[in-house]
Amino acid sequence: MSTIAYAKELDLRNLPCPMPVVKISKGIKEVAVGEVVKAITTDPGALTDFPAWAKTSGHQILETETTGTEVNFYIKRLK
Amino acid sequence: MEAQLHDSLVTLFESKLSTQMLLNLETCSRCGICTPACHAYASMPLAKYAPAYRAEVVRRIYKRYFTKQGRFMPVLGEAKDITDAALVELKEAAYSCTGCRRCMVYCPFGIDTQQIMSIAKLLLIGAQAEPETLSMLADMSVSKGENIDALKEGFLSGIKRLEDQVVEKWRSQGEHPIPTDVVGADVLYVALAGAHSIIPAAAVFNAAGEKWSLSFFEAVNFGAFVGDPTKTRLILDRIVNEAKRLKVKEVCICECGTAVRVAKQLKDAPFAVVGLTEMHARYLRQGRIKLRKLPGSYTYHDPCQIARNGGVYDEPRYILRHLVEDFREMSPDPKYNWCCGGGGGLVAMGEETLEFRMQSAKVKAEQMRGSKAEVVVTACENCHTQLSDLNRHYALGQRVVFLSSLVADALIP
Repeated sequence: MSTIAYAKELDLRNLPCPMPVVKISKGIKEVAVGEVVKAITTDPGALTDFPAWAKTSGHQILETETTGTEVNFYIKRLK
Repeated sequence: MEAQLHDSLVTLFESKLSTQMLLNLETCSRCGICTPACHAYASMPLAKYAPAYRAEVVRRIYKRYFTKQGRFMPVLGEAKDITDAALVELKEAAYSCTGCRRCMVYCPFGIDTQQIMSIAKLLLIGAQAEPETLSMLADMSVSKGENIDALKEGFLSGIKRLEDQVVEKWRSQGEHPIPTDVVGADVLYVALAGAHSIIPAAAVFNAAGEKWSLSFFEAVNFGAFVGDPTKTRLILDRIVNEAKRLKVKEVCICECGTAVRVAKQLKDAPFAVVGLTEMHARYLRQGRIKLRKLPGSYTYHDPCQIARNGGVYDEPRYILRHLVEDFREMSPDPKYNWCCGGGGGLVAMGEETLEFRMQSAKVKAEQMRGSKAEVVVTACENCHTQLSDLNRHYALGQRVVFLSSLVADALIP
């Protein structure tokens, strides 16, 4: 279980393509620079989509945590 | 608008002027037959939603810069300068068109409004006025292609977690229910990010005894949605390169209309391209899979990019005739089936387009209701999302399902 503190949690489980990335892209803008969003996902593709999105949008994935069928991303807004 | 930007947009416009595009731009006789053919106009009868009006937004700019009359006497020829206001009009035209080409089927000259809208989308990109969400998604896909070696491990761990669910549907003989990176595989299957796009397809491949491999990339081409030819090519090349590396005979694209259409436009590839629906119909015809009949009443929504724009009408119906007790058409002629209202990138933009999507697809909702079917089947992610939204918005009380999911659930030894 991650100990990273987060300002916002997004439930992105079982969403159709490409909603997990669309919603994290909007959700990250709803926290202040330096704050963290926790995104709960179930898509296997999120494990490639989220790192690629973070790289192109300039944010930082602090931790990727797997719990059963879910993967939680802790993403820090950098700009 | 600054002169430099203005001039660069004129140059961009010129880059789109192929022979076919010139025919599209110079042929319209304004007969108006296309007007009621558009689902947006049929649902919201405003002039701006008539296909000929949308095309005219682009055509007037064409007249201004690329015809003699427009260059020397623009006021006489209804010609229009590229201005900031023109960009606003171009955006509304381009992103109220789903690219379904229903208007083209009705047009006596076969004018392709979707192709004309590709000019509008390219000008918006040139002016950095395209929908931010679509560019973000396209950039993400391109980045994935550039960094796949670093991302593979995470993807493989995600795939591993799906294996039990594949085996629940079909117990395969092979070691890996979801094989990846198989050099010499016959088929490279390109899915979407979601498990729903992988598990049923994997079960059917295994049931058919296919020698297949799952792609590391997602099929959807966000470059095509946003109308960026360079990104479209880069995103497609990821799959082409993977297919070449694995030396596959066929690339099978999942239930994603745009992905199927874009991949099928490939020329001189050392492999064939086929949609998942066509693959399932082939397995059935060859006796490689067997299905039990499902109870209930079903109708089928033709994804525009697969049916009207791809010619695949018979295969889903062949599958459904073997799959369900009660199949009923929602349109007397599938060629004229209404668009779901979610194509062209509208669904991918999410909630920002939801109100327009629901209003502009009222005719589709009425068509779904009119089928009196309990289940609406489709074979495209975009369509599935949009039809599900319509189902909720208009309280249709139907169930919207993927064709591949039904096939996987009906597999019998």
